[in-house]
Amino acid sequence: MSRVRRFRNSNFQLALLYAGLFTTSILVLFALTYRTAADYAAQDEADEIDVEFVAIQDEAHLAGDGYLPQIIANHLRQRSSEHAAYLLEDAAGQRLAGNIAARAPQLGPQNLRVPVDGQWRELRAHGYRLANGDYVLIGQDPRALRDMKHLIARAFSVNAAITLLLAVLGGVIISSRALRRVDALGRTTQAIVAGDLSRRLPLRGTDDEIDRLSANVNAMLDRIEDLMRSVRQVSNDVAHDLRTPLTRLRQRLEQARRRGDATPQELREVLEGAITQVDSILETFGALLRIAQIEAGGRRRARTTLDISALLSGVVEDFAPAAADRGQLLLAEVTPGLQLSGDREQLTQMLVNLLDNAIRHSGAGARIVVSAHASTAALEIVVADTGPGIPAPERDNVLRPFYRLESSRTTEGSGLGLSLVAVIAKQHGATLALADNGPGLRVTIKFVKNGAAARRSDAHVTLSDAFVQR
Amino acid sequence: MRILVIEDDAETAAYLQGGLQEEGHVVTLAADGRNGLMLAATGDFDVLVVDRMLPGLDGLAVVRTLRASSVGTPALFLTTMSGIDDRVTGLDAGADDYLVKPFAFSELAARVKALGRRPRATAATTTVLRVADLELDLIKRTVRRAGQPIALQPREFRLLEYLMRHAGEVVTRTMLLENVWDYHFDPRTNIVESHLSRLRTKVEKGFAPELIHTLRGAGYCLREPG
Repeated sequence: MSRVRRFRNSNFQLALLYAGLFTTSILVLFALTYRTAADYAAQDEADEIDVEFVAIQDEAHLAGDGYLPQIIANHLRQRSSEHAAYLLEDAAGQRLAGNIAARAPQLGPQNLRVPVDGQWRELRAHGYRLANGDYVLIGQDPRALRDMKHLIARAFSVNAAITLLLAVLGGVIISSRALRRVDALGRTTQAIVAGDLSRRLPLRGTDDEIDRLSANVNAMLDRIEDLMRSVRQVSNDVAHDLRTPLTRLRQRLEQARRRGDATPQELREVLEGAITQVDSILETFGALLRIAQIEAGGRRRARTTLDISALLSGVVEDFAPAAADRGQLLLAEVTPGLQLSGDREQLTQMLVNLLDNAIRHSGAGARIVVSAHASTAALEIVVADTGPGIPAPERDNVLRPFYRLESSRTTEGSGLGLSLVAVIAKQHGATLALADNGPGLRVTIKFVKNGAAARRSDAHVTLSDAFVQR
Repeated sequence: MRILVIEDDAETAAYLQGGLQEEGHVVTLAADGRNGLMLAATGDFDVLVVDRMLPGLDGLAVVRTLRASSVGTPALFLTTMSGIDDRVTGLDAGADDYLVKPFAFSELAARVKALGRRPRATAATTTVLRVADLELDLIKRTVRRAGQPIALQPREFRLLEYLMRHAGEVVTRTMLLENVWDYHFDPRTNIVESHLSRLRTKVEKGFAPELIHTLRGAGYCLREPG
């Protein structure tokens, strides 16, 4: 971590800001306290001088003004250790007593800088005129005030220093810890950018902001990885799945070209075969496009509340004759009047695809039942048949695009029917589950109620969701 | 019929022109929306075949402009987009039918023919459809053949109604899926065939001559004998 970065990072700047704020408030506090204390001490000293003067006056009153020089000398002696200063002058300006040199009389409070006992001193003093015209100056060293000022200043500067030190230290510690984590995140994301999509941001398990952010980024990475894998899978599947019919098509056409003696009837058959082949390729593309359209349009499409019971019964009615023609029994066991918010055409296609599958894969004599019922929490649509079913380990696979069971390889179909069902279910916030019907296949589509479905379908459903390997 | 084909892809245009001329139509080509609009505005055509994606003025704008200036020539949209939204915007703009590329030529031919005869088939005052001795009452929802009542399921009734409205025309499986079932996708299960065979049993069994015909590779046709 470079020196510059330490000072640039936001935590440290915050710490500095706090340190500055603390220091400023301490200074303001100091100024106020200092001022108040100084005023108080100054007043105290002025009072002390007044008391002294009153005492001198009283003593002179008792003893007579003629004793003033002795009184002053006494006071001077008593307070010699306090660097007190006294001056007594008569009306003519003649010095009568005291320890400072004669000076022009000045009344009231004053600051003096005079030699006292041969030493220059700063004094607080007060000049008084006595009734007999004598002038008295009483001064004293403002040490109490000075001491207090020193005390306050020292206390505050020590305080400020400690505060500043703690703030800066704390800032450095906090910021370097945060910086270390951010650095770790940065290194991981760089590795991911460089192509290692399997890396994940480290979590500390403290559930703080950075942890939550990291968890979100990790979830995002999971999704991206899934999608990347599915896109790869899809392009592989598309390429693979289209290769076979295209190869066959090419063989057919080439064969027809080689055979110079083909009759018009034979050529016609070849062309018809070729068209059928092309149609099956186009059908695959159509199904892929439709899946992509449903995924892309899912959020924009306005959903309406529709009578799903009527929709299901209607589709079953449409398909019942076709099932009967194959010797199958198709029934609807639907609670009437069930409401569902969704896209009519998509939901119709979903059921149609499921019925297509059930009818195509179940043999004669099979019984296919479409049922729907709702609880307070969910609405379930079930398509159950008594056909061969899907072995448990294959049930997840069949939802994958182009995946076809070995047993159904020979039957026609793009292998995208169930993928489309999965995408439509997902767009409606519904879950799709395949289970054993003992015998047969039981497909359950479960719509969660209470707006949960609507919320989930608002979430961005990305292209190729259906292709993600489950 | 006089048909205007507005299509920018020269190969597709030539293919459509050749095919429609073989069917006995007179075909005019326009390679872009502006020319197409000018030609169509003359009103000299029975049917317009309009590619939806055109350079300059697109198909949607062409049809919208025509409808705004009260040119009601039936229009068939050709498009590569099959989403329901595309279909709805197309029909909202004033197109009468919608066909997704790629399509079988027989499908286009059948739809063009159906559009060309539209005015007669949709006469608003008609309440009873009649073909030979087959009678369908739109108000009472009853069907009679040779005076004998025939009981039909609701879907069979709609199927017969559509066939009778297009009597003498070829209707394709997709046209039936779209108009009778409202399925705008192709179910793998042949529900049309199954319903039609039931309808046939009810309408034809014990009666003569045969009215509903299957045209291999093309579709179905209900027509007067002879």
